[in-house]
Amino acid sequence: MGWAWLFLLLATYPWLLGADLASDTLASSSLIFFVSGTCLVAPCRRLKRWQAVLFAASLGFLFEARRPIPDGALAFSLVAIAIFLSSNRQLIRNTSDMLRAAAIINMGACLIWFLASSYGSPSPATNLAGQLCLQLLLSGFVGTLSLIPIALTQNAVLDRLNVPQAPDTP
Amino acid sequence: MDQNRQGARASYLALSIFVALWILVPSAVRRFNREAFVEFQAPALHLLGKSRELATFWEKKSRSVEEMSAAGRDLARINAALEIQINKFEDIRRENVRLREITHYNVPAEYMSVVARVATRDSSSWWQRIVIRKGRNEGIRPGAPVVFGNTVVGRVTAVHLTTSEIDLVTSPGFRCTAYLEGDDQNHIVLVNGVASNSLGTAKARVSVIPRDYFLPSGQPARVFTTGMGGVFPSRLILGYLDGGTYATQVGNFKESLLVPSRDLYNLQEVSVLVPLHQNPGEALMQGDQFQ
Repeated sequence: MGWAWLFLLLATYPWLLGADLASDTLASSSLIFFVSGTCLVAPCRRLKRWQAVLFAASLGFLFEARRPIPDGALAFSLVAIAIFLSSNRQLIRNTSDMLRAAAIINMGACLIWFLASSYGSPSPATNLAGQLCLQLLLSGFVGTLSLIPIALTQNAVLDRLNVPQAPDTP
Repeated sequence: MDQNRQGARASYLALSIFVALWILVPSAVRRFNREAFVEFQAPALHLLGKSRELATFWEKKSRSVEEMSAAGRDLARINAALEIQINKFEDIRRENVRLREITHYNVPAEYMSVVARVATRDSSSWWQRIVIRKGRNEGIRPGAPVVFGNTVVGRVTAVHLTTSEIDLVTSPGFRCTAYLEGDDQNHIVLVNGVASNSLGTAKARVSVIPRDYFLPSGQPARVFTTGMGGVFPSRLILGYLDGGTYATQVGNFKESLLVPSRDLYNLQEVSVLVPLHQNPGEALMQGDQFQ
C-alpha cells in the first residue's frame, strides 16, 4: 500500500509526542528523550525503500520543526539511515539485532542532532563533553527500552494495512 | 541481491543530489517546509494542553466545598485590596501623564497583553524555550516580550498560526540591557543567556557591571529592565544576582550570574506584551536569521 508510510507516521506520532512530553519534565536539565532513531527500525524491515525514506524524512522534519537546527540536518541523516537499513535487512532480522540497532541508530541520530544544534547556536559553549555523554547514554537507554512498544504499535498498523511480513531470510 | 545493492546505490545518489538541491533551494522553501511541519504538530499540542487543563479541573472538582469557599473568601479580600491599589495607581498615572505633557517626554511604547497557556517546554545546551498555545491568530508578533506578573520570562522568537515559541531569559539567544538594584547611578549592564551544560538551574550572565558597584547587604540584588530599545517595558524584574560579582579578564568591569526570579520551567501561563505599534527593533527580528 503506497500510503502505508503516512499511516505509519500518524501511528508513530503519539510516541514522538510522548517523548516530547517526557522531555518537558527534563527541561531544567537540558536533556531530551530522543526516540526518532528508534522509530525507524521496525518500519525499515517491512516497508519498501522509498516508503521508508519518506517516513524517515517526515520523522526528521517533525523533530526539527520546533528546534533551531540547520534545516534538513537530522531529516537527511535519518533518510541515509533508512536507506542503509532497508538495504541491509539481515542486520535487523531478529529482536536482539533490532534492539542493538535501535540503541546504535538512536545514539547516532542524537549525536547528529547535538552537533547540528551546536553548529546553529548563536553562542559557543564550553565543557560540553559531559553533557554530550549524558545525552548519548540517555538516548541509547531510551532507544533500547522504547523499541518494543513502538515496534509493536508500528507492526500492528502495518498488519492492518496488509503490508507483507519481513522475510526470515532477507 | 545485486538488484538490492544497485537500488541502495541509486538511493544514496538520489539523496546526495537532493541534499545538494536542498542547500541551493531558496530559504523561503525551507521555511515553508518547517512551517508546514509546525502546523501539523499544533493540534496535538493544543489537545495536550487542554487535557492537562481537564485534569486540573477534575482535581479541583474533587476538593471540598469548605475548601473552595475559603479560597473564594481569600480571593475576595485580595480583590478588595487590589481595588484600592488600582485607584492609587490611577492617580499616579494621571500625574505621570501631566508631567510628561509638561516636559514633552517621549511616550513609552504601549502594549496589548495576550495571556497564553504553556504547551510544552524544550531545552538543550544551546536553547531554552517554551511553546505557548497562542500565535499569529491572536496578534502575537516575533520579538514581543513575554512576562509573568512583573517578571520577564523571555521573548517571542517564532510565531506560527496557533502557537508561538519563546526564548527564555536563560537561553543563549536572549539579550537585553538592565539596571541593578542598589546602583544609585543607574549604570546600564548587559544580560544574556548562557549555554547550559550542567544538570543545575539554567542561568544568564550579567556583564559590564561597574567596578564600584557593591551588592546591597542582606538581600539578593534584583535586576530590572531599562526600557531602552523599546522591546521590554522598564522596571520589570529579570531576576536576582547570584552570589557575588567577579572581575572580568580585562578587569575594567565585573560580571555575575543571574538567577531567574521564577522557575521558568514550571510556568503554566504567561502574558505576551504585543506592542501596539511595531518598533524598529522588532522589525529587525523578522529576518531569515531570526528563528
